Amino acid sequence: MKNYKLTIGWLYPELMSTYGDRGNIIVLQKRCEWRGINFEIKKLDLGFKIEDLKKCDLLFMGGAQDRQQQIVAEDLKQKREILKKMIEDGTPGLYICGAYQFLGKYYKEADGTVIKGLNILDLYTENPGIKASRLIGNVAIKCHPELVSGSLDSDLRQNDNEKILVGFENHGGRTYLGENVKPFGKVIKGFGNNGIDKTEGAIYKNSFCSYFHGPILPKNPEFADLLIKLAFEKKCPPAGRQVNLPSLDDSLEHKAKENMLQKLKIKQH
Amino acid sequence: MNVLLIFLGKFTIFVSRLFNLGSGSTWPGHIALSANKNFIKEIINKNFHLKIILVAGTNGKTTTGKLIQTILEKNGEKIFQNTAGANLLNGIASSLILNSNLSEKINKDFAIFEIDENTLPLILKEINNPDFIIILNLFRDQLDRYGEVNSISKKWGDALKKLNEKTTLVLNADDPQVANLGLHPKGVIVRFFGINDKSLSTTKNQHAVDSTYCPNCGSKLEYSTIYYSHLGIWKCPKCGNVRPKLSLEISPIYPLSGIYNQYNTNAAVLIAKEIGITLDKIKLVLSEFEPAFGRQEILNIDGKKVQIFLSKNPTGFNESLKTISILNAKNLLIVLNDRIPDGRDVSWIWDVDFEDFSSQFKNITVSGERTFDMELRLKYAEFKKFETEENLTKAINIAISKTSKNEILYILPTYSAMLEVRKILTGKKIL
Repeated sequence: MKNYKLTIGWLYPELMSTYGDRGNIIVLQKRCEWRGINFEIKKLDLGFKIEDLKKCDLLFMGGAQDRQQQIVAEDLKQKREILKKMIEDGTPGLYICGAYQFLGKYYKEADGTVIKGLNILDLYTENPGIKASRLIGNVAIKCHPELVSGSLDSDLRQNDNEKILVGFENHGGRTYLGENVKPFGKVIKGFGNNGIDKTEGAIYKNSFCSYFHGPILPKNPEFADLLIKLAFEKKCPPAGRQVNLPSLDDSLEHKAKENMLQKLKIKQH
Repeated sequence: MNVLLIFLGKFTIFVSRLFNLGSGSTWPGHIALSANKNFIKEIINKNFHLKIILVAGTNGKTTTGKLIQTILEKNGEKIFQNTAGANLLNGIASSLILNSNLSEKINKDFAIFEIDENTLPLILKEINNPDFIIILNLFRDQLDRYGEVNSISKKWGDALKKLNEKTTLVLNADDPQVANLGLHPKGVIVRFFGINDKSLSTTKNQHAVDSTYCPNCGSKLEYSTIYYSHLGIWKCPKCGNVRPKLSLEISPIYPLSGIYNQYNTNAAVLIAKEIGITLDKIKLVLSEFEPAFGRQEILNIDGKKVQIFLSKNPTGFNESLKTISILNAKNLLIVLNDRIPDGRDVSWIWDVDFEDFSSQFKNITVSGERTFDMELRLKYAEFKKFETEENLTKAINIAISKTSKNEILYILPTYSAMLEVRKILTGKKIL
């Protein structure tokens, strides 16, 4: 895969990176490098150029503290149109926690203040008030394979065991999905989007949203590979469809995931 | 009422120690506070002579407390402290029970309390005007338990507003959010410590940085010097907010390695100076300083040296790795747990800059309840050779056996892991 190259756009690495979410970038980078794929990380910090965003084959944005989110919101407003276009065109992306909330219609804070979202995805988030507790803990979901768009032959669809994803959630806001997005998965253990409807995260075209920290990709390598594959399919159709990622030794990744499933008392088989 | 609670508490401590169930550092206080929620306030109010020093901050509380204790004790003062790690209200109440007699009198000169991040606002409701409050730093730590850095600093700021001139606030000028706390309280005396030594400046930007934005106006801060994480000489280009002038920038002696311990020492020396102890005396006393348990503490096991560096959050872990690298460490045991005192969320290990140390050590062993998560972290940081063993006793044995006679085994554990490691190595419970 020597001549292949991917560029990932890391949105606001300085401000939106609170919960070890950098691990997702490290995992994508290493899994490309180990396969001989040239991997470039574009750090898109406050005031970044729209031209740089356009060059990206894959996007990532993490969570942040409230104060940081306010600073980012101002900057991101000016880039809404291009980001929306990329998401509509099927540029794959991973949006965690705060980034996930940003893409929705609005976020209602604990004190009732409503902050407008980018209104790119059909979802909204509300914090039920300071008395409501945050949704915190280890979490596991089962992905519905038919919901994963893009790659028909992705590992997420193939192997039953690997459709379970594990992570750690920590959020005050409760997210509710509209009709135009689908949940990323169904909660087996933990709270998920809102602690009520058993959904976790959201999928729209090739954009994946989730509350999973942990971070999400190290213990769910098949999901990391799906993102890489989708990026190739988008970047060079139809040749991208032929891209077969050489397999890596994921025994350690699976052991770590297995260990978490045991802690959560979930049987895989 | 309180007399009965003190009696009961002392009895609990006695029984607990008799049967080696721990030192009784939280339970007696828990019982006392359940029976009388004003217990701390009432005991403190009956002991007006007692001078109180509160030590807060993410990293360095125990070491700083021990430094102050050592200086004051060698100066003839009678001191008591809450047990390290028992830094919630129940731990403070327990220490009051242990140190008061049955007429509710405490026959000591100073109380040094280390205070958990969430407990600082609570304790200031019980102790209205402590003599000193030290705030060392504020880093991301256990976001699942403490919440985010900005919300903690806001809570602290609100609590400090109620103080008057009886209290001296001792703040780290190099930490923007901590320094900013010195701007708001009226009447209170504020002193700043920090470091003015450009030769210690780091050129590398660390990832786990929390406060590079102006706490006053939100603009990006400019640093002329960064010592580690977000600590350094900063200024805001927009609103003119600037790192305050230091009351103390250097200690005559640094008994412990690592730049973070220079901060801890400067804070302790500043307090000692404010109390009226001379620098000569401080130097003499600190030359014999013994580290607190698990904080660079050295143990001799089978003729080999084992040194424990408690490493409980990204910044602490980075500084431990940096410090042991400077000490030319060859042998390393990492122990990662995910119990409540460690934080249930281990995501933070991805904020540690392991990549900088991938070929630094000869022998690495990984253990703890989240062994596999740490293993995965090292794999992605391209560490080529390391051994894993979930069973901690076995892991310690492996790591010690790999360490040659004249070398040191460095153990980097999270909090509960540190207690476990010590228990295995010394055969004694400490909490």
